[in-house]
Amino acid sequence: MAVISVEGLTKTFKVVRKEPGLWGSIKALVKREYETVRAVEKVSFDIEAGELVGFIGPNGAGKTTTLKCLSGLLYPTGGDIQVLGYKPWERKSELQKQFSLVMGQKNQLWWDLPPIETWRLQQAIYEIDQASFKQIVAELVNLLQLQRVVSIPVRKLSLGERMKCELVAALLHRPKVLFLDEPTIGLDVVMQKTMRDFIAEYNRKFGATVILTSHYMEDVKRLCERVIVISQGRIVFDGKLNQIISRLAGYKMVRLIFGQEFDQRKLAEMAEVTEYNFPQAVVKVDRKKAAAVAAKILQEFPVADVTIEEPPIEAIIRSLYEDPKILADS
Amino acid sequence: MKIRKYWQIAKISWSNGLAYRLNLVMWRVRVVVQMLAGYFLWMAVFNRNQVAFGYNQAQMLTYVLGGALIRTLVLSQRSVDVQVEISSGDLNNYLVKPINYFRYWLARDGADKLLNAVFGVGELAVLVILLRPPILGPVGGQNLAGLLAMIVGAMMMYFYLSLLVSMTTFWYPEQNGWPQRFLIFMILEFLAGGLFPLDILPEPVLAVVKWLPTSYLVFIPMQVYLGRVSGQELAVSLLIMLAWVGILKQLAQMVFKRGLRIYEAYGR
Repeated sequence: MAVISVEGLTKTFKVVRKEPGLWGSIKALVKREYETVRAVEKVSFDIEAGELVGFIGPNGAGKTTTLKCLSGLLYPTGGDIQVLGYKPWERKSELQKQFSLVMGQKNQLWWDLPPIETWRLQQAIYEIDQASFKQIVAELVNLLQLQRVVSIPVRKLSLGERMKCELVAALLHRPKVLFLDEPTIGLDVVMQKTMRDFIAEYNRKFGATVILTSHYMEDVKRLCERVIVISQGRIVFDGKLNQIISRLAGYKMVRLIFGQEFDQRKLAEMAEVTEYNFPQAVVKVDRKKAAAVAAKILQEFPVADVTIEEPPIEAIIRSLYEDPKILADS
Repeated sequence: MKIRKYWQIAKISWSNGLAYRLNLVMWRVRVVVQMLAGYFLWMAVFNRNQVAFGYNQAQMLTYVLGGALIRTLVLSQRSVDVQVEISSGDLNNYLVKPINYFRYWLARDGADKLLNAVFGVGELAVLVILLRPPILGPVGGQNLAGLLAMIVGAMMMYFYLSLLVSMTTFWYPEQNGWPQRFLIFMILEFLAGGLFPLDILPEPVLAVVKWLPTSYLVFIPMQVYLGRVSGQELAVSLLIMLAWVGILKQLAQMVFKRGLRIYEAYGR
């Protein structure tokens, strides 16, 4: 049975419309005009136990709204959601003890106290016995190298340290389901990698089901086999990441290093040159003809080295965000 | 295990309160200044008169100082933060956890009030020793017990009243709900009898004010202490108070449920 099952989820919000300027403000004081905004519309998907799924889409696509519905913060306007067999908006403690929601831009740590105080509070809230608490904290602190920061007030910690402490707070009760909303936002590349490795490790070790949203494609590439792409409140793709690549990228990139100067125009006749900076050049060629074109270039030009690469995932995803219909057309 | 949950909340609340030393000192100075202001005002009034508004000097000063102590216990609380949590979306942190939001704040308020009681009694003792005002002791055991029960009831009433005000932020989240709170609490403090005994008001006004739940916050408890409400009247007052606690609790829970329906879990 699926751990998470979403069927036709729709969520709308009522937003105040205000005309710009002072006059608009005065008018809004007397009479408010509301507009109904559809944040997500007829979203459906199932997630099996132990899956680590990337939930991606441009800003305002409905990712966070979906996660908020899944964790019971929002009541769906329509459709049905089941998480571990419960309806999240009923907020049953049996369910709440089994999942965690981490938002990269939200804090649950007590700002003026050391993180250990928040962790102890979490221990009480989730009714974790002392022995398990000690063991889990020791393990997580060690894994995330937090020994130095445990007793320092949160406000004195760096963003990266804080985020790691947030993760500890969210994982103390060993949740079976983890909703991670932009857990790496604002972190430097080293810290991003630490977080990624940790998430992968948690998923592997405890068989936890994880939904991750991120704007960093590197997170998704490294962590998620399956991705769900959402755009303007609707799911536009649900499947393996490499499927998007093969479906959307009908081309490959051939990277060439030349041994000596040559006539560039001749190269341009054979393939589309996307980058040229002697001795290096990159050409874009039809996926099916990539090998043949590369062989021909090797024959006719003074090539020192050649590699055939997949196009960058960022570029593919960008094109998908810009025009969600391209998947249907491909 | 459940008790442990809320005890831990009380403990972290204390740690947090004590984390800011300057804030702690300022807050206590504010309370003492307020107490002194009422004290000196009424001293001045009674310099000219033996009896004013049906109170003699000792009764009035006892009302003012005792009322100040009750005010520091009843009309102060941490749970004003509820409105900020609703409008900022920090409420999310609690909604996803196996914890009752009302009880969470009750535990924090309880902790806060215990801290207030320790400081309040200490400060009052110092003032009494320094100023030697002519204050009255309790009229009897029954009244003292009645007062203590009333203080607990008043705290609960105020807790739910305050939650109700905070919950208006679900519908009007502007400025974290401060505009509505300032207005309502100015009126509330006046109607509670925190500044002066309500029975010095003109008869028609008093007739209305007496029936409002707010008079049970400071005024009636102090009347009990002074022996102006005793016996059967005390028992009736306690029952009315209990009813108010029940009504306000039900109302707060109902409004919270409705609020959550439209809550948008802001913060992104």
